[in-house]
Amino acid sequence: MKGPMPRYSALALLRARFQGARYWKPLWTGRTLKAAYDVVVVGAGGHGLATAFHLARDHGLKVAVLERRLVGYGNVGRNTTILRSNYLLPENHYFYEDSLRRWETLSRDLNYNVMYSPRGVVDLCLSDGDMITASRRGNAMRLAGIDSELMELDALERFAPELAPRRSRRFPIVGALVQRRGGTARHDAVAWGYARGATALGVDIIEDCEVQGLCTEAGVATGVETSKGLVRANRVVFATAGHTGMVGAMLGVPLPIETHLLQAMVTEPIKPLINSVLIYVHPGHGETYVLQSDRGGVVMGGYLDGFPSYTREGQWHRLEEVVQGAADLLPEIGGLRILRQWAGTNDMTMDGSPIMDRVKYDNVFLNAGWCYGGFKTIPASGAACATLVATGLAPDIARGFRLSRFATGHLLDERGGGPFPVRL
Amino acid sequence: MSRLICPFCGPRELREFEFHKTLPNAGDTPFERVYLRVDSLTHSVEHWQHIQGCRAWLHVERNPSTGAVLVMRLATAPGVA
Repeated sequence: MKGPMPRYSALALLRARFQGARYWKPLWTGRTLKAAYDVVVVGAGGHGLATAFHLARDHGLKVAVLERRLVGYGNVGRNTTILRSNYLLPENHYFYEDSLRRWETLSRDLNYNVMYSPRGVVDLCLSDGDMITASRRGNAMRLAGIDSELMELDALERFAPELAPRRSRRFPIVGALVQRRGGTARHDAVAWGYARGATALGVDIIEDCEVQGLCTEAGVATGVETSKGLVRANRVVFATAGHTGMVGAMLGVPLPIETHLLQAMVTEPIKPLINSVLIYVHPGHGETYVLQSDRGGVVMGGYLDGFPSYTREGQWHRLEEVVQGAADLLPEIGGLRILRQWAGTNDMTMDGSPIMDRVKYDNVFLNAGWCYGGFKTIPASGAACATLVATGLAPDIARGFRLSRFATGHLLDERGGGPFPVRL
Repeated sequence: MSRLICPFCGPRELREFEFHKTLPNAGDTPFERVYLRVDSLTHSVEHWQHIQGCRAWLHVERNPSTGAVLVMRLATAPGVA
């Protein structure tokens, strides 16, 4: 790439209109791998790219991002794009709230439209018990200064009229916990925006470059072995969500992580029907969340498939449950055809919370274990992980995500479900 | 793998089965047994239960990259042949 990255603006669009296609330049390709870097980030997904971006921008380090396949090939391109910070535990909600605040300004910060859409996230309650649990979580959030509203039917009817909460259902809705600032963003744009931003700051993003091993000398990592040769690095960050178990195998360190599949599906596009993100746990069919993409497709997802897998193929029984739940919630979408169904590999930790810490060596870092909440945390994770890598000290909001918490018992078990990645 | 073959009940839908844990344990301490996992891309040894069928505990070996089930038999206590 020659010359500085052009800044996107209305004027730039006009200029492009007259200069034709040659105005547009590749955003990140064409870099060659150098022999040495301050930091090598493994994995060009959302978290790896955001970490590289902040390492270069906030700490002025020389960074390479090595990717086995393509930028954004993994979970950043496969998730259902839900953004929210409605978590119960302080270690989680302060971090997720930091992320949500960064989402609000991300398009400006990256000079790239990530299509952040604060359309509201609605957690539906079907019983008084659900309302009590929701109010506990909502109150915990409000104490931390995070917006959260417990709505009964009147308020919910005004907020989400498309849901018709009073309509007759086998399991009637009694209320909801709503976070208005929650919403969605365009998943690919996040990867592209960070890749473009990082490249503009001098980060080398190398695709088709598989990391095969870690080079060490006297108990310190000195670089990585890749399919394109040796690369020296003062620090190495693994941001390989979905395959962190393989990093553990490579380092010879068993990790508190299992890799599970989470699937999602999208219907044919229809006119605007669903305004917010609806999360519904049907007592018979399990969890379903439903939202409508900007293109008009109804996007749906639910629980994990339930056993470790790297196949990226969702199981039929889970797809069936998700669709049954969605059709129960919104009978009018029951006749739509599903266009696509896919699955992503998730780093499921034993308490459902992420890991951001050193692993085995003093200069090797893990940005992992994001479970099924990785997308919404990309901006905060990038900034926090960059601080940890550059200064050696994680920022306060990420202190709880230590690897050692599993051994010391300081678990962040949001569900209160015990040491299992999946319990349905 | 939308079906598994239970040694007692024959081929049954996957939803009848519940995955429990991968084996072997990462170590002998309770922490290692409960929290840590030894991961493999190609060969995973697991305990499952036929929870909505005969409720037998099952020893399953699978290839987690292809989904192929390699072995499925009744689980035995450690040290029992």
